[in-house]
Amino acid sequence: MRNRLSWSTASKIAWREARASSAKFLFVIVAVAIGVGSLTGVRGFSRAFYGMLLREARTLMAADLSLRVFAIPNAQQTATMDQLIRRGVRRTWITETLSMVASTTVPNPVLVSIKAVDAHVYPFYGEVKLDPPGSLARVLTADSVAVSEDLLLRLKVAVGDSVRLGGQPFRIIGVVTSEPDRMSGSLNVGPRVMITREGLDRTGLMSIGSRASERYLFRLTPGSPGIEEVRQTLQKSFPEALIADFRQTHPIITQGLNRATTFLSLVSLIALIVGALGVATAMQAHLQQKMDSIAIMKCLGARTREIIQIYVLQTIGLGLAGGLMGIAFGSVVEAAFPPLIARYFHLRPEAHWDPSTAIQGLAVGILTTLLFTLPPLLGIQRIRPGVIFRREMAEVRPGWKQRLRDARASLVAGGVILCGIGVIAGWLQIGTLRESVRTGVAFVVALVISLLVLAAIAWLLLRSVRTFVRRCPRRFPAPIRHGVANLYRPGNHAQAALVALGIGVMFTLTIFLVQRGMMAEMFKSAPPGMPNVFLLDITAKERDPIVDLIRAQRGIEGAPDVVGTVAAKVVSIDGKPIDSLNLKAWGRRFQRARAVAQAAERPAHTVIVQGAWWNSRAAQPEPQLSITEEAAQILHAHPGSHMEWEAAGRTIRARVAAIHRIDSIHMYGRIEFIFSAGTLDGLPIIYYGGVRVAPRAVAQLQRATYEKFPTVTVVNVADVLEIVQQVVDQIALVVRFISMFAILAGIVILASSVAGTRFRRIREVVILKTLGATRRRVAGIFSVEFMVLGAVAGLMGSLLATAFSALLLKRWLDADFRVDPLPNLLCIVLTALVANAAGWMASYRILGQKPLEVLRAE
Amino acid sequence: MIQVSGLTKTIATPTHRVDILKGIDLEIPRGQFAAIMGPSGSGKSTLLGLLAGLDSPTSGHIVLDGEDITGLEEDELALLRGRKIGFVFQSYHLIPTLTAEENVLLPLELSGHAADGVERARELLQSVGLLDRRDHYPVQLSGGEQQRVALARAFVVRPPILLADEPTGNLDTANGQVVLELLITLNRREGTTLVLVTHDQQVSEQADRRITLRDGRVVLDA
Repeated sequence: MRNRLSWSTASKIAWREARASSAKFLFVIVAVAIGVGSLTGVRGFSRAFYGMLLREARTLMAADLSLRVFAIPNAQQTATMDQLIRRGVRRTWITETLSMVASTTVPNPVLVSIKAVDAHVYPFYGEVKLDPPGSLARVLTADSVAVSEDLLLRLKVAVGDSVRLGGQPFRIIGVVTSEPDRMSGSLNVGPRVMITREGLDRTGLMSIGSRASERYLFRLTPGSPGIEEVRQTLQKSFPEALIADFRQTHPIITQGLNRATTFLSLVSLIALIVGALGVATAMQAHLQQKMDSIAIMKCLGARTREIIQIYVLQTIGLGLAGGLMGIAFGSVVEAAFPPLIARYFHLRPEAHWDPSTAIQGLAVGILTTLLFTLPPLLGIQRIRPGVIFRREMAEVRPGWKQRLRDARASLVAGGVILCGIGVIAGWLQIGTLRESVRTGVAFVVALVISLLVLAAIAWLLLRSVRTFVRRCPRRFPAPIRHGVANLYRPGNHAQAALVALGIGVMFTLTIFLVQRGMMAEMFKSAPPGMPNVFLLDITAKERDPIVDLIRAQRGIEGAPDVVGTVAAKVVSIDGKPIDSLNLKAWGRRFQRARAVAQAAERPAHTVIVQGAWWNSRAAQPEPQLSITEEAAQILHAHPGSHMEWEAAGRTIRARVAAIHRIDSIHMYGRIEFIFSAGTLDGLPIIYYGGVRVAPRAVAQLQRATYEKFPTVTVVNVADVLEIVQQVVDQIALVVRFISMFAILAGIVILASSVAGTRFRRIREVVILKTLGATRRRVAGIFSVEFMVLGAVAGLMGSLLATAFSALLLKRWLDADFRVDPLPNLLCIVLTALVANAAGWMASYRILGQKPLEVLRAE
Repeated sequence: MIQVSGLTKTIATPTHRVDILKGIDLEIPRGQFAAIMGPSGSGKSTLLGLLAGLDSPTSGHIVLDGEDITGLEEDELALLRGRKIGFVFQSYHLIPTLTAEENVLLPLELSGHAADGVERARELLQSVGLLDRRDHYPVQLSGGEQQRVALARAFVVRPPILLADEPTGNLDTANGQVVLELLITLNRREGTTLVLVTHDQQVSEQADRRITLRDGRVVLDA
């Protein structure tokens, strides 16, 4: 009985073999490193960011505990807070809202985010940094403001100048260069204006029902109750409020971070899979070249299991080397993140080496490499020792049953690969086990479909190119025909390189097309009648004069649409309390006060889908209510249901008469609940308006409105879209940055595939040279090969990207899709050039090969 | 036609120097069939490679068809080969991605005369008995068939000189005989100068002249 091959001997043989093929394996290692690098980079940054959020939790909240409320606290809630203050807890109140600021230097007022603070107390932690330097408590008074630098630029003013806010003059005392809780605040559109509470009162901007975000910040003192007690007390008193304390990261930021990390991790996984596909093809080519050695080893008595053991070790070694290189590369990727998101996150997490991310990256790298090399490794068992004696004999093609039987191992391997990838994808998902399982399954299904479609298209395109070049009545020049013929070179793996490059191109172009499609949809000129200017926070007293003022303006393209709303909260539906409905995600908004309206007649553009609108002339026995389809579905309401509401201390009971549908572009489209006329009389009503104005007349309307009604905020949709575009661009930039790794991996695989055929290429170069070809001619043939491969990958990627973007835009984003040939064309050309560069990178040296050296060796 | 004078070739490695050719002087007139013989390592293939301009000599001169090729650049040599030299290898060296006909056409394409070459390629494939297999790829042909395609390829540009390096070395006796007969027939028909390297006494007996090399020198020329 012979001893088993020891692991150390197997390692020695594996190392010896790998060393002999070091150039070829370098590409494999780089391909794995790219995927692992992008993954560890994303996750490393995410962990560092998370760690920073936790470490700096107090500073980022400017408090020990933050309480965000969606309505002004009632008497009982105020009493609860006062009780805590008496026990030593300190409190400060922050109000954030939107308004208009004007200066004398530019005619148009600017939309700003206002933050009203008590400068003597705020912030409890961290510091508001001003330029010129100074303490906020000392310099900010009731008649001054501190502003962000962009406001100075837009209003063409300087520190010391005066601006008008709500019609009142305020002197700019400095530029806010940093504020600790900017990230956990809200309504961060437009430049910042920091003001004192007294200053805000002076503007007259805040009236009951005004759109504002209110936060209370708390600080514990040595004698005060502990954080848990304070939190519990507030939770009980403010069940709808959003509470965060220093022991956790801010829930909104964390949620966003987790989603972004999962998404970018999965994109990185795609890059890794592209790399792993390359490893698989490289390993297959390697094993094909090693067929003789394997057959000889088998002749010499090595068992299949032992040979597989050698190559498994080699694969693990490659995965390990790629993983280690990837970890180093990941730190570069991690460092690239802060500048990418600098616009919205001014904080820079400290770069530090995180072993858990590195181990995760390493494990994922080795596992993915091993999974994808399973098929060629299992193929070792099919190599018969006799191959060295009868290689020249053509193999008889077996029947399909036999082939299916032979493929059994490959099918099993395929199943294992998919399960493995599913597990990895699930592991990368940050969240519950259920979410992980869902992500894993979805990722695998999407991957299988994409790979099958890509492989099918790659096969079809390659075949079409060959048929076209062969059958075309006009004979193509020789370099083109030879270049194309080279794509079918044995062991070229053109299809695999095509799929790898195609995935990268498809991904990157899809992101670009979706981003462009979304922005085009938003910027598309609005349908006639749709408002492009919105007026916020109009009081009852201002309603009629403002409508008259707007009507009198030039460039008005329709009557202003004004809706009066009241903040009201659902208490129960058919006797069931709202809290018992177990609302999820976006549905939770119904637990808070919503803006509701009243109307006598059915508003224009409203379609009743169930029930009937009430007869406005007949007296109603009880208030009637029409609700939107979506709200009805979430709240399980139907015509005949009874809903109880609470608004400004008054209880309203109303019967659901109708379920309606309205497009979101009209003012009523924003209102989910419309009561019968008279129901809301006597309650504090705040009006919102919308009007269609010729774009050139918008500035004049803003000026005129601000002159007479300085507390009314006039929002030009075009300005808001600009802000939205900046955000979308920023997100797209990050996603594109990561998706480029998939292209990079594709390039490396192409180079690796070219490197894998190096010996065949050398032989061909030599034959061609012997037959009289110049180096230029040979270079032409190779360039055609690489360019055709790149162009086909580009074509495939752009075809699929177009299809995917059309699907995403039409189905999910409800936007129009128009095929634009330019980006697709550009993509094809660029991919062709990149492929050419990659191909030459791997083969430029063979051009200078001396023929005789090679011929003698044959 | 072929004039070789004072030809030497030395290969230097970091540890030692090998003199492969130690001063060869030869003259092969137009239309002659010369067989170069000699044991392994005698320098036969190196001499043939130098005649084809596939490598440069350490010293000496080679004049082909009145043109001294010794100082030519790599690409100039390639162009010269395309015009004047046909080559037949022991291992056939067909391009695996091209069909038999495309392989035969290749030298014409490289010299820019492909347009009127299809006729010529088919005529040669007919001569070597493979016209009906012109669309087959090398992998679909036997060794003997591949060598016949290589013969057709070598003659396609009507080169004045044909160099053959053990053209029957990889073939069995029957196939070897067929290939050799074809080579001689085509040589006579096309009027080329044929220089053939061989180990095989029987093959050399069919040549007009036999040049024997040993240790890098001509030891017999008859």
